[in-house]
Amino acid sequence: MLFNLLPRIRRRQLLLTLIPAAAAFIAACGTGNPQDTFETAGPVAERQASLFMFIFWIAVVVFVLVEGGIIFITLKYRRKSDSEMPKQTHGNTRLEITWTIIPALIIVAIAIPTIKTLWDLKAPPADEPSMTIEAIGHQWWFEFRYPGEEIITANELRVPVGTNVIVKLESQDVIHSFWVPQLFGKVDMVPTRVNQLWFRADEPGSFYGQCAEFCGISHGLMRFRVIAEPQEQYEAWVASMSRPPVTPVVGSAEERGQTVFNNNCTSCHTANSYRAGGYAQAISTQDGLWSGWVKATQDGDVPSVVSAPNLTHFGTRTTLAAGIRELNKTTLVEWIRDPSSMKPGTRMQELAAVYQAKGDHTANLEPSQVSDLADYLLSLVPVEADAVPTPVAGDPVEIGKAAFASAGCSGCHSTGSDTRTGPGLAGIATRAETRVPGLSADQYIGESIRDPGKFVVDGFSPVMPKFDGVLSNAEIDGLIAYLKTLN
Amino acid sequence: MTTTTLTLPRIFKRPKSETGIWSWIGTVDHKRIGTMYGIISFFWLLVGGFEALMIRAQLAQADSELVSAETYNQLFTMHGTTMVFLVVMPLSAAFFNWLIPLQIGARDVAFPRMNSLSLWLFLFGGLVVNAGWLTGEAPNGGWFGYAPNSGIAFNPGHGMTYWALGLSILGIASIAAGLNFIVTIFNMRAPGMSLFKMPVFTWMTLITSILLVLAIPVIGVALIQIGTDRLYDTNFYNSLKGGDPVLWQHMFWLFGHPEVYILILPAMGIVSEVLPTFARKPLFGYDFVIFSGIGIAFMGWFVWSHHMFTVGLGPAANSAFAISTMAIAIPTGVKILNWMATLVRGSIKLNVAMLFSISFIAMFTIGGLSGVMHASAPTDAQQQDTYFVVAHFHYVLFGGAMMAIFSGTYFWWPKMTGWMLNERIGMVMWFTILLGFNMQFAPMHWLGMDGMPRRIFTYSSDQGWESLNAIASAGGLVIAIGILLFIFNVFYSRKKRVMAGNDPWDARTLEWSIPSPPPHYNFETIPQVQHRDDFWYQKYPELLEHEEGHAPSGAQEDLHLEAPSGGSDDDHGHGIHLPDMSYYPLLVSLGVTLGLAGLMAGLWLTVIGAVIGLWGVFGWSLEPVNDPTPGADH
Repeated sequence: MLFNLLPRIRRRQLLLTLIPAAAAFIAACGTGNPQDTFETAGPVAERQASLFMFIFWIAVVVFVLVEGGIIFITLKYRRKSDSEMPKQTHGNTRLEITWTIIPALIIVAIAIPTIKTLWDLKAPPADEPSMTIEAIGHQWWFEFRYPGEEIITANELRVPVGTNVIVKLESQDVIHSFWVPQLFGKVDMVPTRVNQLWFRADEPGSFYGQCAEFCGISHGLMRFRVIAEPQEQYEAWVASMSRPPVTPVVGSAEERGQTVFNNNCTSCHTANSYRAGGYAQAISTQDGLWSGWVKATQDGDVPSVVSAPNLTHFGTRTTLAAGIRELNKTTLVEWIRDPSSMKPGTRMQELAAVYQAKGDHTANLEPSQVSDLADYLLSLVPVEADAVPTPVAGDPVEIGKAAFASAGCSGCHSTGSDTRTGPGLAGIATRAETRVPGLSADQYIGESIRDPGKFVVDGFSPVMPKFDGVLSNAEIDGLIAYLKTLN
Repeated sequence: MTTTTLTLPRIFKRPKSETGIWSWIGTVDHKRIGTMYGIISFFWLLVGGFEALMIRAQLAQADSELVSAETYNQLFTMHGTTMVFLVVMPLSAAFFNWLIPLQIGARDVAFPRMNSLSLWLFLFGGLVVNAGWLTGEAPNGGWFGYAPNSGIAFNPGHGMTYWALGLSILGIASIAAGLNFIVTIFNMRAPGMSLFKMPVFTWMTLITSILLVLAIPVIGVALIQIGTDRLYDTNFYNSLKGGDPVLWQHMFWLFGHPEVYILILPAMGIVSEVLPTFARKPLFGYDFVIFSGIGIAFMGWFVWSHHMFTVGLGPAANSAFAISTMAIAIPTGVKILNWMATLVRGSIKLNVAMLFSISFIAMFTIGGLSGVMHASAPTDAQQQDTYFVVAHFHYVLFGGAMMAIFSGTYFWWPKMTGWMLNERIGMVMWFTILLGFNMQFAPMHWLGMDGMPRRIFTYSSDQGWESLNAIASAGGLVIAIGILLFIFNVFYSRKKRVMAGNDPWDARTLEWSIPSPPPHYNFETIPQVQHRDDFWYQKYPELLEHEEGHAPSGAQEDLHLEAPSGGSDDDHGHGIHLPDMSYYPLLVSLGVTLGLAGLMAGLWLTVIGAVIGLWGVFGWSLEPVNDPTPGADH
């Protein structure tokens, strides 16, 4: 029974062994897919890929010898008669020593370039210029901070071609892993520590990145892009990030959208980090929001805010929701209306008040409001360099009013008497006079803006960021003047 | 003081049934316990296999919405947990239980009631881990449970608590089993069977048992910590309050890497029995295979951080762990070459058991080669947490451990049941499994190098991974057909009942010298062992004479005690003392399970568990091994 099966088995065995062998050769060529580790675009991925190929070819030799040996031996020494009794050999010490030494030598051959590559890739060459960026993992998006350029952005990391980029890796929640296969192998983003990697993009392009450590429900939807641009283009982008966005036309959808944004989104999102001091403020806000989430969670409360992607010049981005969709009006409307339809577990939908009113947790906004909001967000692109409006001079109340909107005060404070995350500010002039003995209303309001932690009104959490050094003195004076007009 | 004065009022009569369900529930017979291990873990194999099919169905196409993200995360968490803790480990335990006493010429294990305790804890632990499926909160933090994602702040609900408690219970079972087999192997070998005359499977069981006893406590500690983090707001791993998430990884992998060898060494043992039998030659380089096994087990303790090359331990640590990991390839390579040398100039009978064993060598080699690639830390930065790793460890655990387990199943089935499994169906099954396995897992190498991360519940079509994923998913179906063929084969062969006799394979070790299935007492007369593969040389004494002047190492006399220390008796076949049955192991394990489950469900349950557990412990300690029953053949 068995023996008439044998010729067929032999063919199958050969075939089965040849499939992986043949396929192994295909592996040597890239697929052209956007996360192909062989289609390298920079020196780090290049070194990692060439080390892989070195080990791979050794493995191919071992593979062919062992698998070929198994097939050969199995077929050659097949039992011919049930009575045959082979010579009983028990071993051969010389042979054993030989085939202990040979793998040991192969291992040494692999270990040497391994260790060398490991140390070579530890940091970029010291004699080459480099820039440093901070990347922070969040469930389920990436935040990018450029401390040198004072830029904060999310999910799209712009870098100049040909420059060594050092990335400091952190996480605000669980462990994530930062990976752009065409540029560099991954390094984890671990809460409580700061890791580091470096890379260089040698050609321009939009490179796919993806979180590589399981980080909760939407781990599979946590992607990003590295956009490498020629130096001049990159510098133009850096310069544009400190210019204001195009001002919405009065009465336009964008202007209505701005109101929707200010009323519903600014507790967590900031869109004005282009301002002088905006970077420091955004970071302080971001970290404050995260501490607020942590504190509420630890206290067993349901938090209402959490750190969220900075939306400054959002309209310049190419993707939405951490690299999972192309950014356009349709996708953005869908995202705003019901984020979890695109990305399950989104904190925004879980926490923000605007998603809590309706039973199905979609946004409690009219379709027209969602559309306006999308139009507004897409309109957030920097003005041309020659169109930067000159700072408003003159009336402090007007300066203050502008600052109230642009610094994001309206996200937490109503100008009426209703309570949002912070108290409503109508009638603040009267209350401020009596709040702290020895401080005038002006002094109290000014101090509360510069260092809000000093006088927190009972019943509110100390989540407001410090504006000392973030807003200019003229702006703070303006704010005082403006707030005192509220009744 | 006599035991009678202390005996608690007996609520149960001591079980005496020899048939029916109570004979299984009260049993302390290693063979029956082994059978139950096998059946329960085969059930979990079907569950874990179904989870795998769901995973593959979801990934078969881009942007699939077949299962939700949450369900997917539960599926891959439970697939990994199930296959490691509820399938490969206990299937190995089934073989340990069945074979160790038979291979060393003993009548049972050293602690038969503790053996029964291990079984019941395994059963209950598996149920606790899976309880979440019934409540809709199956564990969802990965089989590796990385903190802080597995902590209560980021993972509220009960899922990972079931996981931590269930694995704790399974851990107790494993430690007890490990101790039992260490003591059994050291103390209960037949006279003359020195350590280096033991069958290789017994050797690998011994090494595995030592690993179990040393490695399981490490994860035990970590599970208690993550459990109290979740239940009582301790902060061992809660990074929000300064706990260290990387410490969890060290703890987990300090257990996790020896665990890999816990999974694979028994498989190596099986293969080392099957290959010599069907090549009609002794295992080539017995001592080198044994010492390679010991070496692998020892070195396995120094490599855990290769699971953490991307955590940021720095180039010094990564260099050290890269070197230690690569070094393990040396003893592994030695084993593979010795198995091949065993076949050289042999008389190879290509039956199902042999084909699975040969496939083990072939597939395990592929897993070993990709393992060396991972060991190179800079290369691994591109592979870590991708499908390349998924391919790697499935080549080791499916291509390795499961192939060997199938081989062992076909090999020892006649001994265990008395009848043969059908060879023709088995051949088709072997081919189906091997084909499906390679269809499913070979493409994953390319997916990984093409940048596809693990544990993602979906991917988008612009990432270009669809066709390879579709092939892999089709492979999963082919494997499923192979498993169905096995089930069919069991029922078909059971109906045909081709009887095996004592020694259907012309095999080598002591278990083949006794009837199939073995009698309750295994050996009527405790054998006197003179040689390695003693039964083989009893059948073919002329082969021994050929070897004058070339005595296999270990064949010489040594100082090993000649007297068997337990389970043996001089009254050949009559009045053989075997331990009586007992319900108390079941009670103790039930108490432990309820007590731990109560930490989550409510204190009342813990109190009930404690009462049952203490009752079991007292009853157990006061119960004599053998009741002095009047009328017994004494």
